[in-house]
Amino acid sequence: MGASAVRPLAGRAFADARIRTIAFAYLFAAVAYVNPVAYRHTYPTRAERLAFAHSFGTNKAVVLFYGKAYDLLTAGGYTAWRSGGTLAIFAAIFGLLAAVRALRTEEDAGRAELVLAGIAGRGIAYVASLVAIAAGTAVLWLAELTGLLIAGLPVGPSAYLALATVSVVPVFAGVGALVSQLAPTRRVALELGGAVVAIAFVLRVVADTSSLGWLRWVTPLGWVEELRPFTGEQPLVLALMGGASVLLLSAAAKIFAWRDVGSGLLSARDDAAPRLSLLGSPTALALRTERASLAVWAGSVGVFALIIGVISKSISAAGISEQLQRELAKVGVSAITTPKGYVGFAFIFFVLAISIFVCTQVAAARHDEAAQRLETLLAEPVSRRGWLRGRLALAGAAAVAIALVAGLLTWAGAAFQGVRLPFGRMLVAGLNCLPVALLFLGVAALAYAVVPRASAGIAYGSVTLGFLWQLFGSLLGAPKWLVDATPFAHVGLVPAAAFRPGPAAIMTAIGLAAAVAAITLFERRDLLGA
Amino acid sequence: MADAIRTEQLSKRYGVTLALDRLELTVAAGEVYGYLGPNGAGKTTTIRLLLGLHRPTRGRGQLFGVDAWEDPVIAHRRIAYVAGEPFLWPSLTSAETFELLARLRGGTDTSYRDLLVARFALDVNKKIRALSKGNRQKVQLVAALATRADLLLLDEPTSGLDPLMEAAFRECINEAKGRGQTVFLSSHILSEVEALCDRVGILRAGRLVDEGTLSELRHLSAQTVEVTFDGPAPQLPELPGVQVRGAGANALRFEVAGPVGPLLAALGDQRVATLSSREPSLEEIFLHHYDASDGRVGS
Repeated sequence: MGASAVRPLAGRAFADARIRTIAFAYLFAAVAYVNPVAYRHTYPTRAERLAFAHSFGTNKAVVLFYGKAYDLLTAGGYTAWRSGGTLAIFAAIFGLLAAVRALRTEEDAGRAELVLAGIAGRGIAYVASLVAIAAGTAVLWLAELTGLLIAGLPVGPSAYLALATVSVVPVFAGVGALVSQLAPTRRVALELGGAVVAIAFVLRVVADTSSLGWLRWVTPLGWVEELRPFTGEQPLVLALMGGASVLLLSAAAKIFAWRDVGSGLLSARDDAAPRLSLLGSPTALALRTERASLAVWAGSVGVFALIIGVISKSISAAGISEQLQRELAKVGVSAITTPKGYVGFAFIFFVLAISIFVCTQVAAARHDEAAQRLETLLAEPVSRRGWLRGRLALAGAAAVAIALVAGLLTWAGAAFQGVRLPFGRMLVAGLNCLPVALLFLGVAALAYAVVPRASAGIAYGSVTLGFLWQLFGSLLGAPKWLVDATPFAHVGLVPAAAFRPGPAAIMTAIGLAAAVAAITLFERRDLLGA
Repeated sequence: MADAIRTEQLSKRYGVTLALDRLELTVAAGEVYGYLGPNGAGKTTTIRLLLGLHRPTRGRGQLFGVDAWEDPVIAHRRIAYVAGEPFLWPSLTSAETFELLARLRGGTDTSYRDLLVARFALDVNKKIRALSKGNRQKVQLVAALATRADLLLLDEPTSGLDPLMEAAFRECINEAKGRGQTVFLSSHILSEVEALCDRVGILRAGRLVDEGTLSELRHLSAQTVEVTFDGPAPQLPELPGVQVRGAGANALRFEVAGPVGPLLAALGDQRVATLSSREPSLEEIFLHHYDASDGRVGS
């Protein structure tokens, strides 16, 4: 009974996710298009491609982020390597977000109860959520395929590459579905799922950069590489994705079928003796409610930093031609051939991570407002100015702590392998992440003050666009002023390069000015519910 | 001493909707004021404007002479607020919530709070996320009442409460009144307002359509006279100010605006068995305002 409800429920879920689906589709199309074009532009001749393949493809620094390369002599092989590996991570995130949105957020908000009180049983509601996620996945597949075709790659292999990329969506949707059964809230579900994505990524990194290649078979992100698009397809590997998806999704379905609606298996105890610390001010309260999330961020960044430090030992300049080094200089990874250079290059990812972190903090503040708890808070003798200033200061202070963790643990990882990086410089390398992060904190705060409902999208969107432009803008042969339009272009990558005080000061100043403007503007608007 | 609440031309427009239209409201210190209106009439908007959570499109509102939009911290020191929906922190227990709200305002009457916790039968070590809506509402109420603030702004405070707790709530409001606190009670539960309030304002589509003490409001409205007869109800002549409504084979009900004399004269030569008359209930006054203006609510 109730099968007729699948259509409207799935339609509703798909429509709810439309903005995220569209954003991801743009990303997939753009990355798919940019890579073949950039490759032909940067390495037009076979000789250049050979030189590139010999050195770059096995360079651990690069493998770390893009995955293992199988063929760098063709645009297709290059694209499969460069975009397949990156987009697979985004596909994993998409699957996780979509499943948690459909299966936990709805319940969190109490809407699931309404649906389940109607003619739709749990099974029907669950199937409808999966139908919506499948439709979103199809959109991503189509977007990536379109990008590849416009860039002039052949139809068949392109379709296969796009399929390989999105094949992890159902797996991580399964992860999302499962953590949605475990976690009592959306926030906890996302943090658990995010940890799974991070572990999958770290496993792939270790597999690709060490002698433990078999680990590639342990992580879904490694399976994508084993599908070998453009480089000797192994479509049988898809069975792994299929099997894992079925396993995870049916396990989640089983739990969903018998647990109480509105709770999670991991629901913490509902009784507790009062703990009265961190209740003295709105900022203290924010620290209290955010501390678990802060710990997860610091921990994840720390683990990644440790890995970077450990791997840095195996970096050397051997085999990279001078001509290629000049080419590399063009894309901003000039000194990648020494441990120091490699570490400097890696820090651009910490700049990214900390920028995203500050956006999550502004999003958390917005969530408090949307859930109308802020109304309860601001009906007390508490000033709006003080509240937002405290929230932003907390985000800034936590960003400093995470940045220091990045510097410290990279140093520790390298030291563990006997690579002596200067300690003070590594702390500077960490703090060097902050000007860009503060800039984005200001931007996110301003968006929050002016267009609260769209603020999370604007914040995450501008960070993602800025970063992708840094990765791909220069490859497209854009004029320098346009390439430099992203804040990421203005970071002196300590310890590989010198700290650049000018741009750092300007970005910090812009961020602070935006934050001050945000506080003033926030004081003048109505509080806005969800 | 400044009035507890005073608004001048207070108006709020959300997009094309005029949620509140030139509200002129005065609530004296020590008064219990009932703010009546159906869903969507603008009650919550009024309170949000008074608290400075939303910005007036025109006009202004003051709490004890302080405009909360201009100076929320000072304005909020003397008030306590119970929101229409209990929006609290799911990971805190009730005890932690009380502590948070008390520290934010710099103190509360903890012994009175303990008494209220007992009266409302709250388990303070339960996390908010595990509480039903009614219990979360009680947490808000206890926190607000325990402050002994000079002004209690209550937005439909009893929604979700069971009859026992409703009685406890009324007891608390009477205590607050006895202590000289001002209470602004927004509600659509007429019996509650009738039982508790000194003065009543009726809000309709963003406008204050009537205001006064209950007896003032009653004078403006018709009273009801019910008559039963020995035998079938007779046909009476048309009388000015009297509306006849059938009430069964042997009975008639009359709505009488103005003096009852002409009706009694007309009934004089009929075989009247029983006669009762009563003043209009608040519900009838309320419905009268809605009936008369757009017929949206019929009885």
